Amino acid sequence: MPQTITKTKTTFRKIEPYLYLAPATILIILVFVYPIIENIHTSFLQNTASGIKTLGLTNYTLVSQDPIFWQSLSNNGKLLFSVPIMTVISLFIAIVLFEHVRGWMFYRFIIFMPYILAIPVVGQTFVYLLGLNGIINTLLRDVGLNLLTQDWLGSAKWVIPSISVVIIYREMGFGVVLFLARLMSLEKEILEAAAIDGANFWQKHFYVTLPQMSGVIEFFVVVELITMLSWVFAYVFTMTGGGPGFASTVMEFYIWKHAFAFRSPGIASALAVVLLLVTTVLIVLQLRLRRRSLEDIA
Amino acid sequence: MKASLRVITILVILSMTLVACGTTSQPATTAANAKVNLTFWWWAESDAPGADAWMAETVAAYEKIHPNVSINIVPQSTETLISAFQSAVTAKSGPDIASQWATGPVLGFVWQNALVPISDYVPASETANWLNTNENMYNGKLWAAPMYLIGIDVMYNKTMFATAGVTPPVSGRWTWDEFMAACAKLKAAGINPWVEGDKDGYGGAWWFANLGIQSLDSTDDLRQAIIGAKSFTDPHYTGWYQTLDDMVKKGYFNQDSMSMDLSQGAQAFAQGKGAMSFGTDGMVKQALTDLGAANVGVMQTPKLGTGKLADAGNATQSTAFFVTKWSKNPQAAADFLVFMHTPDRLAAWYKHTGVIAADKRFDRTLVIDPVLKQMMTWETTGPQIWLENYLPGQVDSDADLTAGQMIFSQSGSPSDVAAMWERAASTWRNQHPDELTNWKNWQQ
Amino acid sequence: MKTNPSRSRLWSLLAAIPKQVILLFFSLVAIYPIYYMIVTAFKTRPDWLHDQFGLPNPFTFQNITDALNKGNIPLWFGNSLIVTIASLIVSTIVSSLAAYALARFHFAGRAFYFNSMIALMVIPPAVLILPLFVLMVNIGLVNTLPSVIIIYSGLLIPFSVYLLVSFFRSLPPELFDAAAIDGCSNLDTFWRITLPLSTPAMVTLIVVNALFVWNELFIALVFLQGETVMTLMPGLTLFKGHFTINEPLIMAGTLIATMPMILLYLFGQRLFVEGLVAGAVK
Repeated sequence: MPQTITKTKTTFRKIEPYLYLAPATILIILVFVYPIIENIHTSFLQNTASGIKTLGLTNYTLVSQDPIFWQSLSNNGKLLFSVPIMTVISLFIAIVLFEHVRGWMFYRFIIFMPYILAIPVVGQTFVYLLGLNGIINTLLRDVGLNLLTQDWLGSAKWVIPSISVVIIYREMGFGVVLFLARLMSLEKEILEAAAIDGANFWQKHFYVTLPQMSGVIEFFVVVELITMLSWVFAYVFTMTGGGPGFASTVMEFYIWKHAFAFRSPGIASALAVVLLLVTTVLIVLQLRLRRRSLEDIA
Repeated sequence: MKASLRVITILVILSMTLVACGTTSQPATTAANAKVNLTFWWWAESDAPGADAWMAETVAAYEKIHPNVSINIVPQSTETLISAFQSAVTAKSGPDIASQWATGPVLGFVWQNALVPISDYVPASETANWLNTNENMYNGKLWAAPMYLIGIDVMYNKTMFATAGVTPPVSGRWTWDEFMAACAKLKAAGINPWVEGDKDGYGGAWWFANLGIQSLDSTDDLRQAIIGAKSFTDPHYTGWYQTLDDMVKKGYFNQDSMSMDLSQGAQAFAQGKGAMSFGTDGMVKQALTDLGAANVGVMQTPKLGTGKLADAGNATQSTAFFVTKWSKNPQAAADFLVFMHTPDRLAAWYKHTGVIAADKRFDRTLVIDPVLKQMMTWETTGPQIWLENYLPGQVDSDADLTAGQMIFSQSGSPSDVAAMWERAASTWRNQHPDELTNWKNWQQ
Repeated sequence: MKTNPSRSRLWSLLAAIPKQVILLFFSLVAIYPIYYMIVTAFKTRPDWLHDQFGLPNPFTFQNITDALNKGNIPLWFGNSLIVTIASLIVSTIVSSLAAYALARFHFAGRAFYFNSMIALMVIPPAVLILPLFVLMVNIGLVNTLPSVIIIYSGLLIPFSVYLLVSFFRSLPPELFDAAAIDGCSNLDTFWRITLPLSTPAMVTLIVVNALFVWNELFIALVFLQGETVMTLMPGLTLFKGHFTINEPLIMAGTLIATMPMILLYLFGQRLFVEGLVAGAVK
């Protein structure tokens, strides 16, 4: 009798952690693993004239021949340029806040607020702000800069930069909060020593602060790069519907159109697989960065 | 040990209850000769403001006469009208009655076996009264019912015309040269000749249906290009974009066309921001209210092309209503659609929306205003074709809508636009060989 | 080495001025669109057409009233509430169990599982929607709230697990050793020691997750297409479509939609900040 009890206890001990993991694992498989595998599978199912689907590479060929696919990819690529800009702005604000400015908590409160607003809310507001007779253009006209007024969201040339501005507006708060938190955990003595040695604002931070923040800066950049590729649907849907023409169509938007408006699941899946592959490089990078910062738990 | 197992079991049960809740919360289907529940996915308010109110009234009236029938109206959004119904088709479940834009979109779903022909449930003596039924005929059957007719004409501001010394056309229609001369005069007088919104792309689509159509000889003519027998780069199909481009370059359009939706553009006309615009009956009615009945006139689209369709009217039922394949009560559903066409309901429709009903029994004397009367005459005389209905949805979205946007935002030349049309069509042909087969076999 | 105290005081005061100006500038930029939204929501349309900049004149509640009466905003608000609360409950329970296992047990596959969580945190939703949609159609859950609850719960797990593992590992091991000596089973330890100690981390996690679910558009748009099951964000699109030409009314709608998060932020700003930072690289 005692032997059996010990055996059951040991077996249970062995599987116990897996029991704790089970519910999460079920949901993960349902929400992540299954769709990704299914997407890959559907991407190889091609349409035929009779309506019966067969296996093959046609979807990928069609995608590679589709100029709008290339334009979507390039639109996502153009959005990537906003990442260095938002990084620099966030760093700058964070450092200024860090320098014992009076009322810094108030400023942080205000600057972080856009990040908690939903994208449709921010997007809709900016649609009005950026209209041809919206605030921005009215301001420009008032100071005599009529030449600079544009139909910001309605011009193929300016729509992506305009969307970038809205994205930076929102993401900036996240960057500031992130960098500030890191700054506050830095060793203050080094900075003070540099100050006493006569370094001015720029020298001090460029040579001392920034190198110590390389980890969190890297992390922010990678996360934002991923965001520009995979999490901007709401901006496009709310502000431009992909237009004018296809000037603001991004990969997620194009996938959505094919999946739901055009009844082309094969094409949509192929596009999704391409997006996943493009993002994978960045995902792996992100993984390495997070792991490096944690204690080794392997 | 037992505690852990208990917890796990509870969690599994919890998640299963969630799933069970979801499946049991679907609407109960009907029991024999007891309650009949119909779900109607309804779209018309955007075309005809007041439609939702009319429908609420109609449902109440119908439920009074048929106490065992309960009708649930679910208003649809324009952006997801097609995709929402496509989801229902994939699910093989959803509404009993649904709305889709006529011809192309409706037939697309007919080919997916999602509809039952309305002619199977409504006698020919009744459907003979319905107007524009040609828009939803296929294989000798009628697949959907119309409710209203919308025509689109050019509305103009009489005061602005007078200021610039422009005389409206005598016969109801300008030649293109006369139209261009008028624009030049208006511009010289400091008046914006044409105001329009194209942010959502429909503005450009209206130019396709009103101007692009004029070089074609038949809808089958268009079909040849769609199935690839001819090319969209042929000036026969897309040459007219050059004319549109010229107008934009000459400054005949408002500057902020890309900042405004279609409805905002029509509103801008009603606020006196331009001398002319395209308008549906509803938009014209609004302009008559805002600018004054004596101040607004209508004319047909100026004549540019010489194809057989250049003289065709452009009225369409816009939205068509049909019974779905999976409905458990197709006859009851069809009966409600017939009820919508009873004379009292037709008159009420006009009173609520100002849009004429697509029925021979509609009392034309209800239309009092001479301007709206004129539109009605044009919409019910002679052949009526709304060309946008004769495009596959993907081509409409990727070429028709975007072409206009490219011209208005000046981000593409007319030849770029023509090439884009052909590319969109060939992409559609490559991606949907099964739909292509249907289009090839469709005799129009 | 010591500089003149009053000079350095003056200098730091002077140096502070450009900093204040810079921060003021960015704060104005950050707050302006919010100000615009609030102010427009309380204007009449003619007033707005006439003056987009200034304060409402006359000040009107009509838009707010209309937004609550016309359209379905209260219904969507309720749906958002249900979906958010349900997803949070499921994901928190499920994630804390999983995180406990990852933090306190040693077993084969532990590192792989944990690394997978990190990778899954940033998978593009666009990759998941179509197969999930077909799945929901097949099990009959499409256009119902449980469909998005299940999906959001799943989506929240990687980040939640990651955050909780970091936190659990920071708890002093002596506590657990003591508990083991006292004869507590693992589950007991979980309930009686780990969870109570984790309240601050849990609260932070819940706040950050609530923000994600409440603000989410893409998935809600795809899975909730019937007007009565929509949540606030896709509902706003519908609302905008119905009332395009009444800009103040639309701003009133967006204001109502975002109010809960703004209020949560006003009262619990610290939680948002901590939560987002905790999820990042240290």
